[in-house]
Amino acid sequence: MAGKPVRPVNAIDQTRRMLSLVTYLRERPGARIEDVARAFGITEDELVSDLDVLPMCGTSFRGGDLLDIDTDGERIWWHNPAALGADAAEPLRLAADEATALLVAARAVATLPGLRESDRQALLRATAKVETAAGEAAGASSRLSVTFESEGGVFADVDRAIAERRRLWIRYYSPARDEVTEREIDPIRLVSVGHTYVEAWCRRSEARRTFRLDRVAEIRILDEPSAPPEVELRDLSEGLVQPSAEDPEVVVEVGPGGRWVAEYYPHDSADELPDGGLRITLRTPDPASLRRLALRLGRDGRIVEPAALAESARQAAREALAAYDGVEAAG
Amino acid sequence: MAIAKAERLMNLALCLLGTRRPLSKRELRESIEAYLEAGSDDSFNRMFERDKDDLRELGLVIETVENLDGETGYLARRDSNRLPPITLDAEEAAALGLAAKVWQQARLAGAASGALQKLRAAGLPEDVDPYGAHGALEPRIPVHEAAFEPLMLACRDRRPVVFDYRKANAAQPGQRHVEPWALECWRGHWYLAGWDRDRGAERVFRLSRITGKVRSRSGRFTVPVPDVVTVRETVASWAGETADRSARIRLRSDAGYPLRAKATTVRELGDGWDELEIPYGHGLDAWLVEFGPDVVVLEPAELRADVVDRLRAVAKG
Repeated sequence: MAGKPVRPVNAIDQTRRMLSLVTYLRERPGARIEDVARAFGITEDELVSDLDVLPMCGTSFRGGDLLDIDTDGERIWWHNPAALGADAAEPLRLAADEATALLVAARAVATLPGLRESDRQALLRATAKVETAAGEAAGASSRLSVTFESEGGVFADVDRAIAERRRLWIRYYSPARDEVTEREIDPIRLVSVGHTYVEAWCRRSEARRTFRLDRVAEIRILDEPSAPPEVELRDLSEGLVQPSAEDPEVVVEVGPGGRWVAEYYPHDSADELPDGGLRITLRTPDPASLRRLALRLGRDGRIVEPAALAESARQAAREALAAYDGVEAAG
Repeated sequence: MAIAKAERLMNLALCLLGTRRPLSKRELRESIEAYLEAGSDDSFNRMFERDKDDLRELGLVIETVENLDGETGYLARRDSNRLPPITLDAEEAAALGLAAKVWQQARLAGAASGALQKLRAAGLPEDVDPYGAHGALEPRIPVHEAAFEPLMLACRDRRPVVFDYRKANAAQPGQRHVEPWALECWRGHWYLAGWDRDRGAERVFRLSRITGKVRSRSGRFTVPVPDVVTVRETVASWAGETADRSARIRLRSDAGYPLRAKATTVRELGDGWDELEIPYGHGLDAWLVEFGPDVVVLEPAELRADVVDRLRAVAKG
């Protein structure tokens, strides 16, 4: 699933792209397909499909002034740029959605702690210029906002280690086991999906691992070079946790007050129960890590399967209660 | 073969942009092959209206002018459609290139690349590796909620909406009539702030709790939209981040790192346990129970009772 996601052909997106292409190509006779595709952030196939449509377009199919644009597979030639009046090929103003999409994203990225200061300054300058150029269209962008969460100091160290290709030493908290472990990692990339994570090759487990930055208790950049094995980058758009079909199944039944479980845990199914609750089936490589969930749910839900997990939660609760008896007795 | 919609839209755009005088519907129909093939007047009219809306959606300002014969004409004037001059240097261009990639929602991802393409056509500098300057940083804005797009459009167009909403502890969703003000993404989840007409008060909704479709309502907003809409503060107080009291707990020495990270004081007791003072806000009881037998609440009594109550529920199974 690596590589560019396949985008469905959307007539509105394609039209707006072709309008910009016309302006762009007019200034660049003989532009290379490869360069134009990169400048427009599209695949060469997408560009070629635009080039198939453009010769059917013009100000009138009867007047014979269709755009005479063609390609030899490497370069793009426009033989009659005069077919569009000089002012008919000027760059177009931004639509409200375009201004919103770009400005909201730019403001969000600018809030990333650890973003290099020179990059942040460049982004803020660019944002101000785009706001001015967008004019009224920029107004709607105030109705959306996004904040990324990340730990500034940790972020900066990871970012630097990646840039300088150096190994990191971290003390990392794992909530599943409620323990802090020390490990050396070779960082691969930073990913922000709600929280910010570093994807890295973990030298302790000799495997690819994802670490959430707000769970890094301590971090040091080491002198050793980072040498992660060549790994194929996963498409993380479906979320960082991607349980596999071989993982053991866990069944949780929650009441109305525990419905949030379905929002936080990726699951195979969530069936409505008559009392307004849910029966949730999910998979995890490490069911023991869900003991915390069972404890947290209290009267709002319980683990149904596996039985051993349900029992370990009950056992933990009994042990915890015993401590209260002890304290009360002592007091 | 039917003529592709993009070709039809492109031709309409070029006709409207290229003309200096308003073109009548009749003239446009004769200039654009797809319209000639449209068949009946009815189907042409429907197609034409939809196409105009689509072009307006991508930013084209199309004017409607009546000519001397009382016939309606259309044109897209250059001065209202031209991007004002904008000059961005290579660093600024690279920063925008990174920002344009962060949306994981089809409509906004399309709009962001569309914006960048328009700027590219206006001379935005290109570099060999547009994202190289930013190292390995890959921010992403997740949008998994189906309610996002209709609410985004309703916020943009200031249209009232109605949807079914299930409160955190409610068995059944209830219908809510809302004047939507703003959407905010915090910790990977989207929230809507707006005026709740039934309750006559400002409310914040979590999009993942909206069940079923978001439907538009006719009419306008009845309450002025405040200049500053605060979503995060409301959500933070739900999440118990606005602690106003403190609690004293015992914690096993090797356990509970996140509790230690939040603690205001930590005192070693020497018997394998530490005593901590931690901020006490909404939701602390549920969090403490997660640590099972590694945490004992000392005070306040109210928190201690809540935790014991929760533990009893789990112990019963």
